[in-house]
Amino acid sequence: MAIAAPILEARDLTKRYAFGDTTVDALRGVSLTVQPGEFVALMGSSGSGKSTLLHILGGLDKPTSGEVVLGGETISGLGDDAATRLRRDRTGFVFQFFNLIPLLDAAENVGLPFTIAGQDPRNGEAADRIRDVFELVDLGGKEHHRPDQLSAGEQQRVAIARALVNRPSIVLADEPTGNLDFTTGGEILEALWRSCAKRGQTIVLVTHDAKAAAYADRVEVIQDGVIRDEIVLGRRDDHAAAPLIARLAQLGL
Amino acid sequence: MVNGLARFAWRSLRARPLRTALSIVGIALGVAVLFAALVTDAGIQAGVGRTVDDVMGRSDLRVGAFEEKGLSASSLSAIRSAPGVAIADPVLEQRTYLQRDALTTADSTAAAYAPPITVIGIDPTIDGTATGLHDLQLASGQGLSPTSTTDVLVPAGLARDLGLGAGDTLTILGLNGPVPYRVVGLLSGAGPDPTSEGRGVVVSLAASTALFGDRGATWVDVGLAAGATVDGVVVALEQRLTFEPFVLTDRADLAASLGASTAGFEALTALIAAVTLFGGAFLIFNTLSMTLSERVREIGLLRAAGTTRRQVHRLVLIQALILGVSGSILGLVLGLAMSVVIARTVGSLGDSGVPIDGPVVPPLGVALAALVGILVTLAAALEPAIQAGRISPIEALRPAHVRRHSLVSQLRWLAAVVVTVGVAGLALWPIALGPFGLGGGATGNAGIIRPLVVYAVLLVVTMLTPLILGPLGRLASLPFALFLPAEARLSRGSLARDRKRTALTVGALTIGLAMIVALGGLAGSAHAATDAWLTDVIPGDLVATSIRPIAAGEGVAQQLAAVPGVATVSPIARFAVAFRGVRVDAAAVAGSDLATDGRLTFVAGDRRAALTALDAGGSTIVPQAVADEFGLKVGDTLDLPVGGGEAVEERIVGIVARGLPGQSGESVLIGWSDATSHFGVLGADAFAIRFVPGRMAAAQAGLASAARGLALEPTPISGIASAINDAFGRLFSLFDALALLAVLIAGLGIVNTLTMNVYERVREIGILRAAGMTRRQVWRMVVVEAGTMGVAGALLGCLAGVILGFALGGVAGLGGPGSGPTIPWLTIVLAAAFGIGIAMLAAFQPARIASRISIVRAVQFE
Ligand SMILES: Nc1ncnc2c1ncn2[C@@H]1O[C@H](COP(=O)(O)OP(=O)(O)O)[C@@H](O)[C@H]1O
Ligand SMILES: [Mg+2]
Repeated sequence: MAIAAPILEARDLTKRYAFGDTTVDALRGVSLTVQPGEFVALMGSSGSGKSTLLHILGGLDKPTSGEVVLGGETISGLGDDAATRLRRDRTGFVFQFFNLIPLLDAAENVGLPFTIAGQDPRNGEAADRIRDVFELVDLGGKEHHRPDQLSAGEQQRVAIARALVNRPSIVLADEPTGNLDFTTGGEILEALWRSCAKRGQTIVLVTHDAKAAAYADRVEVIQDGVIRDEIVLGRRDDHAAAPLIARLAQLGL
Repeated sequence: MVNGLARFAWRSLRARPLRTALSIVGIALGVAVLFAALVTDAGIQAGVGRTVDDVMGRSDLRVGAFEEKGLSASSLSAIRSAPGVAIADPVLEQRTYLQRDALTTADSTAAAYAPPITVIGIDPTIDGTATGLHDLQLASGQGLSPTSTTDVLVPAGLARDLGLGAGDTLTILGLNGPVPYRVVGLLSGAGPDPTSEGRGVVVSLAASTALFGDRGATWVDVGLAAGATVDGVVVALEQRLTFEPFVLTDRADLAASLGASTAGFEALTALIAAVTLFGGAFLIFNTLSMTLSERVREIGLLRAAGTTRRQVHRLVLIQALILGVSGSILGLVLGLAMSVVIARTVGSLGDSGVPIDGPVVPPLGVALAALVGILVTLAAALEPAIQAGRISPIEALRPAHVRRHSLVSQLRWLAAVVVTVGVAGLALWPIALGPFGLGGGATGNAGIIRPLVVYAVLLVVTMLTPLILGPLGRLASLPFALFLPAEARLSRGSLARDRKRTALTVGALTIGLAMIVALGGLAGSAHAATDAWLTDVIPGDLVATSIRPIAAGEGVAQQLAAVPGVATVSPIARFAVAFRGVRVDAAAVAGSDLATDGRLTFVAGDRRAALTALDAGGSTIVPQAVADEFGLKVGDTLDLPVGGGEAVEERIVGIVARGLPGQSGESVLIGWSDATSHFGVLGADAFAIRFVPGRMAAAQAGLASAARGLALEPTPISGIASAINDAFGRLFSLFDALALLAVLIAGLGIVNTLTMNVYERVREIGILRAAGMTRRQVWRMVVVEAGTMGVAGALLGCLAGVILGFALGGVAGLGGPGSGPTIPWLTIVLAAAFGIGIAMLAAFQPARIASRISIVRAVQFE
């Protein structure tokens, strides 16, 4: 792979939570580079700092020290408004649970970034883009279903559609398959994979599941707030987890 | 276990101090208004009692004269000799004016007319002694000498205003010109007639002859001999007094008629209290539901650990009890303070001048207010308690979910609270006043029907709100959608989240605003009615009043008519007739003048024929109010006693929308010929003067000097109207203040609801923020949400208020006589602005909370 300018660069990130006398160091010096179009998985056991890292990468939270550069711009020091605009225009998030506003239908949920920006999601380019991402996540025809009329897997795909709809520089997904069964989880990962393979979407996926991580080009293993290992899988069309599991076993994980 | 539960209940209230405080304040304001109303009503009842004492003095019975010439000497001696009468104490009373020069602030413009004084003639040989029935407490100086005919006693306040002291001269206008008196003493009390409002000067009956000629007593107060009964003496007097018509009044009659005049006021305060309490109940309901929805898991765990369903019910009810008791105690204190303010503001009620006594605390009222506060709180807690009991142990393990309630159960709950408030508040009202409820029995029921109807209207409006919430919300969010489409779109959904909660929040606001608008309508129509009333019946732009009857032969009317710019002059005399044993106001008028001037609105009978018949005699024209009261129609005959055991027949030839204003209502109209020949009317005591159009200003000066020469006091119609309207104004501003409180409580309800909506949406707000919504947008979203509720409440409230205003129309005379409905546009605009403003202000804190939600935390946990 040619070395292009990285789309995302994290330098020596630390994050310390303090309550009174006790402190928790959730991150203790994480550096990470993501190239445009890359699909990176962050793996680690529960409490290892995956979510914390993801939040900081996407501008939801600020590091205690270190910096994050997205598309050449340092975002870790941004004020709240600037960080918010950044999220609206340049990042897309998918969380583990409850990604949707229950009172809005699927299309309205997907159109939220446009609504928030003061555009009408039912007309013009916004409407085209929404139609396009519904297709991409394979939900054509379900635009006007409300979240409680959709299955858990469909709900997560709506969330992915929303993360993709503003063509962000990077999509950050935090265990999107975490509480789903194997097949349903597969649908979601396929949807993410399609966006990466067909649209060149850059993705950072947090998971503790090797089968999910096997979709990625590269897996970063986090432990106790530091990146312990990197496993490069390369772009493949089959997402068999066996090689990754073998590599993890070699590392004693 | 109850002990443990109580501790748990207490802790969970303490965990959210702001919300708990809000609910307590809500219920406290409700109880406060209720209690203030009770204390005020008790004060009114006490005021009625005191007024009866003031008016009747120590007398048991009063014999009043119907005719201007008063009760004759033969009547007085007949009363004295009647069995059972221990003492008969005559009083003469006549309104007149002080000579202008005596006034330091002499101002000849017609508008600044000097108010009249009342000359009270007493018998110093009786009232100067211990047996006298009238108190003459002296602040300084000495009493009236039985022999002097120039002594006068002046109330200390009036003396101060006039700059007079003992030994000074007071010149009073009499029938034959000014008469000088010497001030011998200053009165400290209100004197023998408190209705003279501090402007009653006291002279001996003998001294009054110089002013008014040889006139008899206006009334004779009777003290009963030991063992005699009022009824026995009444029978004896009715047999003996055959010289002229008279009217008997005893203490019970007076109390009843004064009580009736205050019933409307009491009914309205009761209604407003009920409405306010409803708002408070709603706050409690919200607080408890919120606490519950936050604690579903905790309660699930309690259930899993073996807590029974009944214990969970008890847990919620204990919380309600804590809120109810603290709210009620705080409410009683606030209510007492409020009642002091009310007594100060209103002072006295209407024409009857019944004063509102300072705080009179009815013991039963304290119990009732507290009980209603607690009952309402418990009623509001019932549904949350039942919901809590339904939480299953499994729920502790499940992720939080949105609970949906059926519309039927929502309405059932609503009805329960409303009915509890209604029944507890209104039905127990007369009971609570207990010993103070003097005239309550007779008047209470009639006064309470209409508020019940109003309450039912409000109930229906609130019950309908959840049904029309969808379209209403869309309509109400339109103005916001124009400027903040994203926020409007996102907030509209959250109003639909819990229809019941939104409906009640909007409902509380609706009701408060409806009250304001309805009161605005009433006040407006009262004003309009007073103006319309006077212009409808008085054939002139100005009324010149005389202190003495001016006979037709004196040529006074002609002299006035000769003033340049004066078009017509019409004589009017006010007197009274007895009909079916009741005193009815009457007025002598010239039918031809009314016909030419185009006055009077005929409801029945032919206008021209009726007015002609009036002048011819044997005919009368009756105002609608009197016709309704006695069930009269055109063609009926009134048998009116005229003394000597005789009666004259007056046939009703017409019914008019309004008659001339009388002392205690509207007057029946009688032609001049009958008035003088049968009813003892000696002459006109007022002239209605119409100016040539466009020459009013010029004519007024000429008229003023002519009037002075004739000892007449000119008063423009507008002056009369504004005096009446002032009294209405004070009353309505009080009601408005109370209704504003109801809106304020609704505001607290909005704070509560928004906070709850925000807490239930933490996760959603996190998602929105992650998707790029700024803090400011979140803030605005909550404010728009509040604004939408405000607009919805304003729309419904103004609509309901206009309807109510029409329905309330004439609550016991508060709407003014024969008032037509008016739509109070200004009030509507102000009320709507106030409601929307309060709603958006209420959003401040919840919006702050929402905008500060940490995204990371919101999205981190399920
Ligand atoms: N808001 C917070 N306050 C305090 N500690 C936190 C907070 N968020 C995370 N932590 C701690 O930081 C560490 C990393 O958490 P997290 O990033 O959520 O791990 P993961 O997503 O890998 O399970 C954990 O020890 C967790 O307890
Ligand atoms: Mg995590």
